[in-house]
Amino acid sequence: MINTLYNLDTLGTPTAFFLALLIGIGFGFALERAGFSSSRRLAGVFYFTDMAVVKVMFSALITALLGLSYLVAFDWIHLDQIFLMPTVYGAQIMGGLLFGVGFAMGGWCPGTAAAGMAAGRIDAFVFLVGTVGGSILFNELFPVIRSLYTAGDQGVQMAYDSLGISRNAFILAFTLVAVVAFWLVEWAEKARTGCSTYLGTPFLKAFSLALVVVAAGLFVLSPAASQSSDEKPGTIGVTAPEEKTLMADVDRARDHIEPEALADRLMAGDPDLVLVDVRPAAEFNAFHIRGAIHVLLPQLAETLQPHKNQGRIVLYSNGMTHPAQARDSLQRQGFGNVYLLTDGLQGFRDRCLKPVSLRPEPVSAPAAARINAWRAFFTAPAPLPARAGIASPPGNEAKPRVVETDWLAARLEAPGLKILDLRPQPEYNTSHIPGSLSLNVESLRGNLGGVPSMLLPAPMLAAQFSLLGLNPADAIVVVTGDKVHDATLVGMGFERLGHLNFAILDGGYAKWAQEGRPTDAALPAVTASSYPAQPAADPFTVDYRFVSSRIGKPDTAIIDVRPADFFTGKKSDEARAGHIPGAINRPYTEDVISGTNKVVTFKPLAALAADYARMIPSKDTEVIVHCRTGHQASQSFFVLKHLLGYTNVRWYDAGWTEWAARSELPISNETRGDSPAK
Amino acid sequence: MQTNTDKATMGSQPYSNPYLAGVLLGLVLLASFVILGAGLGASGGIARIGASVSMCLSAPHTLGSEYFGKWGASPLNYYLVFMFAGTFLGALFSALLAHRVRIQVERGAASSVSRRLGYTLAGGVIVGFASRLAQGCTSGQALSGGALLLTGSLVFMLCLFASGYATAWFVRRQWHD
Repeated sequence: MINTLYNLDTLGTPTAFFLALLIGIGFGFALERAGFSSSRRLAGVFYFTDMAVVKVMFSALITALLGLSYLVAFDWIHLDQIFLMPTVYGAQIMGGLLFGVGFAMGGWCPGTAAAGMAAGRIDAFVFLVGTVGGSILFNELFPVIRSLYTAGDQGVQMAYDSLGISRNAFILAFTLVAVVAFWLVEWAEKARTGCSTYLGTPFLKAFSLALVVVAAGLFVLSPAASQSSDEKPGTIGVTAPEEKTLMADVDRARDHIEPEALADRLMAGDPDLVLVDVRPAAEFNAFHIRGAIHVLLPQLAETLQPHKNQGRIVLYSNGMTHPAQARDSLQRQGFGNVYLLTDGLQGFRDRCLKPVSLRPEPVSAPAAARINAWRAFFTAPAPLPARAGIASPPGNEAKPRVVETDWLAARLEAPGLKILDLRPQPEYNTSHIPGSLSLNVESLRGNLGGVPSMLLPAPMLAAQFSLLGLNPADAIVVVTGDKVHDATLVGMGFERLGHLNFAILDGGYAKWAQEGRPTDAALPAVTASSYPAQPAADPFTVDYRFVSSRIGKPDTAIIDVRPADFFTGKKSDEARAGHIPGAINRPYTEDVISGTNKVVTFKPLAALAADYARMIPSKDTEVIVHCRTGHQASQSFFVLKHLLGYTNVRWYDAGWTEWAARSELPISNETRGDSPAK
Repeated sequence: MQTNTDKATMGSQPYSNPYLAGVLLGLVLLASFVILGAGLGASGGIARIGASVSMCLSAPHTLGSEYFGKWGASPLNYYLVFMFAGTFLGALFSALLAHRVRIQVERGAASSVSRRLGYTLAGGVIVGFASRLAQGCTSGQALSGGALLLTGSLVFMLCLFASGYATAWFVRRQWHD
């Protein structure tokens, strides 16, 4: 499958400009070869003296049409990958009628005038000066003619759908019309000027026959396109089954969401809202609406599959054309819940993020308060998004709270970004990501109420973070070797303090090093800060009383993430062997994949989601995760809460260490440790 | 007496077979679809030049205007501007190869230069305006959109030829020899 620059959204890059220049050279060459650098020849079409316009234009049109249809039939390209202009009856009828007047008067059209100018035609240059002036005139008159510009907007409309016939039948009919036109214009030239170069020649016969045969061949190659959309909805390319509903929705603006409404929903943490940024990755990384995920257009349908017709999918880009076409494409694939952000990112900036002081219109006090709240939420100095997957490479879905090495590499110097390296100190001292701080995971744990290996209380965590010079507004990126659960345990520490602006480096230090990215061995300069303790921020850590009150409750899932042998009681290194009655075993190791060179990453989201969906009835079901000491369970907590969006996840930190030691607590599969692990 | 056309073609090679030139043009269009994901266009590049001229005259006015404003402060940063430049270069190459470059005002021998230039300037203004209204010209709408079988593009093409034939009689004198 070919991927077009339009589909990759890279038409604005220097590479695209260069390719456009090359294609333009081909275009100009072909126009000049055809004799379109002569206004007399072009105008001849209107006087039946030289019908080259009809011959060249229809030959070109049919050639491109047949070529493209064959590529589609061979599945090399999909029509959705090409920019399809909307049908706007009013504007195109009026524009066409006016254009014809100008074309006949000037003897040029824009492309041929460029060719004419190259061939030294002064009239072509004057014509082009006129077209530049006409464009400026259009801009000046736009406020007056705006209604005409959008009059009769039908969205993308294919002629064969408008006529209710099949694509292949339309193509064959169109080709036959072109062939008949060729013979008619040759005859007209002969009648008018007394000579015709091609009428009845073997060349024209062969050319006509070849076009018709190639057009008819589509019926054999692409039977799907031989049925009209009335007979079979959703045929190849861009036949839209619900085109009429779609258009009706567009008319009522039901497919748009206003920036203000979006901002409020995002701030409220609407779990049914998926905000998708379809701009190029670099632009997404530079700035995006907090909470947005980045998806490349080719991956859109696949990535959004889990959200198909569930909740709302909102697409945005800089403008409206691109997401609109993406929306149309998703709609054709059965997505009925795709919306566009009105006026795109620019609209969001203007209407929600522009400071009150910069607004020309008077702003009432409640409106100002609303704007300030939006600004505080969306423009916080937070390079990490709240639940955004950042710039995932193609083929890899966006994982919230997981950042890619590319992302981090682009931000090493970013103020307010702190990197914590959790690897053993000798490894850190040998080489680390420049600027990263070493942190020993165990320094965040201690004995609480007689239970060992408990995450420290908030004030002690705050003291540790102060020594590292961290501040609540910092974006934290946690880097590990191959132990992802080290990173998630540190994440629990930040969450306990209400510090949600943290993410894990995907693949950890191993991936960073494997990619040959910069490292050094310097110790960064740190000024101690005073990190405030916020003890009220932890509603997710639960104790044994809470867990025992949930045993046997159908609306709570208890997940034991220890290795299977410990769950069954075959192995034990605690006072008792077995598991909490009713608990489900899901070893934490099942959530990650170990690649080459110790690169450990999370499993694809779709696989994780499918696994957990079998264990947990719904996203808002209460889930309690535990292991032996709380360490491994922090990883399962992270997966459930931050990657999969479960909203009610609890962490039994004390875990099996405490449960096994409290003999009054019930256990299942008790097989008093006959084969200790160590 | 020689007409302008005779002079124009004197010493230059004849034009290619229009059907084969059309096939070549169609293949270029196909390449544009496959590589860029968009068809050929000329008026889009011209309009960008218009926006750029407008920026030179008054940047705040242009940036504040509804249509040009959305193209930002560097309207020339657009693939169709480069395609337009390429069109000129490609045609120049072909015209030089065939010895067809002649500095002249192409017109009927019996027509004055001022009449021809007046018509072509007015035609240019109308075409520039109409191309913006229809979101494309003969290249972007009629040819590219037509090859994609877009309803609006085919309607545009029909209207264009209908009004072209209706207008031609009134402006015929510029071609009289």
